[in-house]
Amino acid sequence: MSGIAAQVAERFSAARTDSGMLTAALFVEETAALAYAAAAEGPLAGDERDLALRFAGHEREHARVFETILFALTVPVREHAAEPDLRVLVPGLRRAGREEALARLAELEGAAIAGHQMLGRRLRALDALRSVATVMAGGAQHLVVLRRALGDEPVTRTLESGC
Amino acid sequence: MVTAPVLGVRLTVSEYDRSIRAASRLRAGSYSRRRFLGAAGALVGGALLGGCGAEEAGKAPRSDADVLRELLRHELTAGAAVIGVAGSELIARQDALHARRLAGRAGTDLSGRPATAVHLPAALIRKQDAVFAYVEALPRLADPALRVLVMQLAASEAEHLAALRLEAGDEPVPDAFAGFTEGPPP
Repeated sequence: MSGIAAQVAERFSAARTDSGMLTAALFVEETAALAYAAAAEGPLAGDERDLALRFAGHEREHARVFETILFALTVPVREHAAEPDLRVLVPGLRRAGREEALARLAELEGAAIAGHQMLGRRLRALDALRSVATVMAGGAQHLVVLRRALGDEPVTRTLESGC
Repeated sequence: MVTAPVLGVRLTVSEYDRSIRAASRLRAGSYSRRRFLGAAGALVGGALLGGCGAEEAGKAPRSDADVLRELLRHELTAGAAVIGVAGSELIARQDALHARRLAGRAGTDLSGRPATAVHLPAALIRKQDAVFAYVEALPRLADPALRVLVMQLAASEAEHLAALRLEAGDEPVPDAFAGFTEGPPP
């Protein structure tokens, strides 16, 4: 398991409640938004830069989903991921080369998917799972684009676990 | 066209007051599934505040096997070969494995169910419908391991959508939620 995957898995595993797991999911989506933005500012250029900016917007939309679920569960969101969190979770992203940056983004997307599926196993508020799954499915589509950019084959998995 | 039973609201609502209004619309059954789940929390709020929604009301609980058999029907439809798209053979093989996995867990025989090949537009609609079906089924599954399996299948089908669009030269990820969003809220 990569450093990114291990850190994200630990964050989800450590949560003992629905609100804790959803807060972990919020953190990961917010960090992913920062990661795509950082990749767009540094290692990526041209069409890939544009794509990263668009995916950063998607990640912000994903984060708003988790924030809204937490609101519905009357859980206040007091903290949001920021640049230092990105530096811990994806160190060196801004200085990375193109390929390394794409690989780190793919690792982060995969780790998020694995976390969402942990929610599938453990979440008690089952109706929220539909929303979690829409975010996960959006992340899976990002993965296809990242794998294609990296030249990875196949770009789809029979059972996408994020691992 | 993808069918649109009443279920949810759209996802991209940012302000809490808007999500609360959306939850009211959800309870009132005024949103289509195409708009779906929105304000995510609004769906949760709707469910928490108003039960399971109009679609679920008055229905007896179904077994996990029943839910899986229904999903298998969607998978078999979505699993048809795609005419004239490079890479679709792999997707068809993955779909066959999806169907086998579902049939095995549902205790259903897969024999005698050939899928007719379709052109890309029809394939995309069928794939999108499969993603809708998988996501919609999740809260109806009691077994946590089956919920994980269905999430993995949903993710795979969402990937198929993106991959087919890529092969066709279309925008692979046109929205943030694998088809669960559309234009601005009413």
